[in-house]
Amino acid sequence: MSEFGAWHILTLGHYLPMGSPLHRLDPRVRLLSVLVLGGALMVRGQLAVLFLGLLLVLLLLALARVPLGHALRGVRALVPLLGVVLLLQLLFYPHRRALVAGSPALWQAGRFVVSAAGVVALVALCLRMVALVLLLTLLTSIADATDLVHAVEGLLRPLQGIGFPAHELALVFVIALRFLPLLAREMERLMKAQAARGADFGHGRGYIVQRVRRTFPLLVPLFVLALRRAEELAVAMEARGYAGGKGRSYLVRLRMRHADWLALAAAVALAVLLLWLDLGSLEQALFRSLG
Amino acid sequence: MKPLIEVHSLHYTYLRGTPLETVALRGVDLVVYPGEVVGLVGPTGSGKSTLLQHLNGLLRPQAGRVVVDGMDLGDSRTDLRAVRRKVGLLFQSPEDQLFERYVADDVAYGPLQYGLPPEEVRARVRRAMLAVGLPPEAYADRPTFALSGGERRRVALAGVLALDPQVLVLDEPLAGLDPAGRRLLASLLEEWCAQEGRAIVWASHSMDEVARSADRMYLLAEGRVIREGTPREIFGDAELLLEHGLDVPAVTWVLRELARAGLPVRTDVLTLEEACDVLEGVLR
Repeated sequence: MSEFGAWHILTLGHYLPMGSPLHRLDPRVRLLSVLVLGGALMVRGQLAVLFLGLLLVLLLLALARVPLGHALRGVRALVPLLGVVLLLQLLFYPHRRALVAGSPALWQAGRFVVSAAGVVALVALCLRMVALVLLLTLLTSIADATDLVHAVEGLLRPLQGIGFPAHELALVFVIALRFLPLLAREMERLMKAQAARGADFGHGRGYIVQRVRRTFPLLVPLFVLALRRAEELAVAMEARGYAGGKGRSYLVRLRMRHADWLALAAAVALAVLLLWLDLGSLEQALFRSLG
Repeated sequence: MKPLIEVHSLHYTYLRGTPLETVALRGVDLVVYPGEVVGLVGPTGSGKSTLLQHLNGLLRPQAGRVVVDGMDLGDSRTDLRAVRRKVGLLFQSPEDQLFERYVADDVAYGPLQYGLPPEEVRARVRRAMLAVGLPPEAYADRPTFALSGGERRRVALAGVLALDPQVLVLDEPLAGLDPAGRRLLASLLEEWCAQEGRAIVWASHSMDEVARSADRMYLLAEGRVIREGTPREIFGDAELLLEHGLDVPAVTWVLRELARAGLPVRTDVLTLEEACDVLEGVLR
């Protein structure tokens, strides 16, 4: 697209108003469901289970009417990181121990062995990262910043009784979320403005000091703008009578409908299924066929 | 005369291929000749800024052609830094982009990036600061953050002028300045253009601002050029301007109403002095 389009490429974080059934759920349900499913994916390491999890996430994306190409763009940004992780994993996986445990060796060169178990763990890791990124894309596609802050605040409100600053925390969260795209846009504008004066960002030449120096024309104005914005925001909020969370009423009252309970139950059930499912025998069969 | 910048049926879509795509330019043609002031007028969202960013290669054309002094910006082998040296672009509210502690250092940033020798850089900084009415003796060592908004904007302008561009591209250069600041900056720009014989592309949503100094104007709306001509030709067509949510200078408005009321007056008038002459002629 363009050498400056940093924030265009990031689909992670774009809200898509598609009006799907998932968009209409209670925001707390949307957030909680994603957290529960994500948690389950994070805990499990079995290849087959993670594959099922990935399918589930893709199904949810389809249900939310998020175009697949759009969702995958977020994954594409992850590819370099994934590559590094894969390489490290391949090098430092305890292949020898896996061999002792009965995994066949796929490739051997001198002291260096690659075990089937190692490769399977690697693929599983990839699946997990892709599934998690897609799940996050799903969340930001079906819930905008306001939804998320309602969700966080609604979920934390019961804790307010024991002195937990739920409202303040939610506010910090929403301001950070709201500012992120603004700062990204500001950054893009600054990059273009400095490039128009001859700055050269694309090429990483020079020693570390020079490289850091090259970011000054961006970082200095960006900080100044961010601080000014924060100050303006604080003044604007006080001018409109904001004085903290105490005694504040809400325009949007969250109320759980039947569909919300149903969706939450389904999400929890699926997460439990992902947690309990044991497809280890499939993995063993895979080893045997490889060996 | 050979044009400095040629734009042929330029198209551009933001976030192309995503559910959020928005079309900014739908086939724009534009030429800029050496030494002329080209006004680019259009309401917010008409594609002005997108078009400007194509002129120095900050955006690459998705469809259509942009040629700057013989260099085709659609060609991936074109050296964009060379293009940016020919076409100096000043963004909207450029005072935000200053980052050096002292004024002269910030003005010197561009020339230093192009690796010019120190003597040359010093001379250019001096000239640029004089051109924007900030004498180096008084301003070179001032901290940038202690200047007023208008002064900061002129420092940013000096930063671009120090590149000695063939074409100066300005995006809403007077927006947000007070009347005195607007008059000062406008006259400084006109002076620079006349003295150095360089071209200016001046984008604004205010007809008044551009009409005064432009030789030719383009009227932009919804990503298309809907009218091209001298300011006089375009002001003659007040209906078209109003239809696209643009303002008409007060004097034009008055004369237009008089003409509607049946008085034999011209309506293609640009300045107050002209309007006075016309009215005197009628009253006699």
